[in-house]
Amino acid sequence: MTVRPTDALIDALSADAAPVGRLAPPLVRASATLAGLALFGLFAILLLPNSNPLAMRGAGAEMQAGLELAAALLTGALAVIAAFHVAIPGRPRGWLAIPLPALALWLGLSGLGCWRDLVRRGPSGWDLGHSMDCLAFIVTASLVLGAPLAWRLSRAAPIDPLPVAALGGLGIAALSAFLLQFFHPFAVTFVDLAVHIVAVGIVMALAGLLRRPMLRPA
Amino acid sequence: MTVAGGDSKEESWGDLLAAAQRGDGGAYRRFLIAITPFVRALVRRRIRADDAVEDVVQETLLTVHRVRHTYEPGRPVEPWLAAIAGRRSIDALRRSSRTGAREVHDPAAYETFAEPAANIGDAGESARVLGPLMGGLPPRQKEALELTKLKEMSLEEASAASGQSVASLKVNVHRAIKRLRLGIGKDMFE
Repeated sequence: MTVRPTDALIDALSADAAPVGRLAPPLVRASATLAGLALFGLFAILLLPNSNPLAMRGAGAEMQAGLELAAALLTGALAVIAAFHVAIPGRPRGWLAIPLPALALWLGLSGLGCWRDLVRRGPSGWDLGHSMDCLAFIVTASLVLGAPLAWRLSRAAPIDPLPVAALGGLGIAALSAFLLQFFHPFAVTFVDLAVHIVAVGIVMALAGLLRRPMLRPA
Repeated sequence: MTVAGGDSKEESWGDLLAAAQRGDGGAYRRFLIAITPFVRALVRRRIRADDAVEDVVQETLLTVHRVRHTYEPGRPVEPWLAAIAGRRSIDALRRSSRTGAREVHDPAAYETFAEPAANIGDAGESARVLGPLMGGLPPRQKEALELTKLKEMSLEEASAASGQSVASLKVNVHRAIKRLRLGIGKDMFE
């Protein structure tokens, strides 16, 4: 009797049925990763020199600054959680849209802050400020924070790595932009905001380009 | 979905896969056999050619093997399987459209002479020489050579089928070819 290749493959695979370490649910893994990243961020804020920029920049607009920070943090956290879900086969594709409302809120509030600053300061509100430093900060912090995130995501060997890389890139860039606010002692101008958005785009593009070596898809 | 177990009790795919995650080879075998028709039906939704369907079914089973640790017991297996089969089908379609855009299939181009027997060349002679030499190879070298060169599996597929690591497969193929070259002369493998 002829053994069909598929039957032979089933025999071979079942003979290789070594116990495997089952992955914890995505939310648990995402929460543990976010806790690790939060610890790293806390150390960075405490150890790196900064002169309480939140108080300097947020004076007179505490609510606005607080909401902006919360929206950036929420975007980052939701994108990371979504990346862990999308990495598992068969999870709803709706997870791709989960961080979008928070992202819209973050960009909207940042834009509103820029507009208020422009009205208050006049034409100097278009100044470039320290935009290139911000871009370097977001990209560098994303590379540092992104390495452990990529390692954690790669445990799932995602079968479709592009959406996982895009969500992971958005999450890590948003968290880096959140961290940046603790070292950013000046109001965000429209040019600064545009540079922040470009930095997020660069991080997402890098994550997309490096998705195969980083995520080791099945 | 369920499958009749060895003790005639019905076992769900989820239970079988959970047992396979714990290293139960029998449960894993029953699981793979039970899901194959389901996987084949999923693949047929996108791919028509029978040989291509079977290739994608095998690639799906290999992927199931690689990502079986991602299944969460208690959740339905079907969406998990459907996502894997769908992804492998899309990959196959992309490969095929890339190949179709760059290559022209012309079976006659491989023929040198109009007389079919003339195109077989010295295959019989090669088989007569190679047969005993292959038989003389150590088992792991022979297995590595058969899977990667004769069955044309990728290193990952051959590794899954044989249990040898990719690095060990490479070493064994290299050593096998070296031994065969010594036996029949170098030009056959150039």
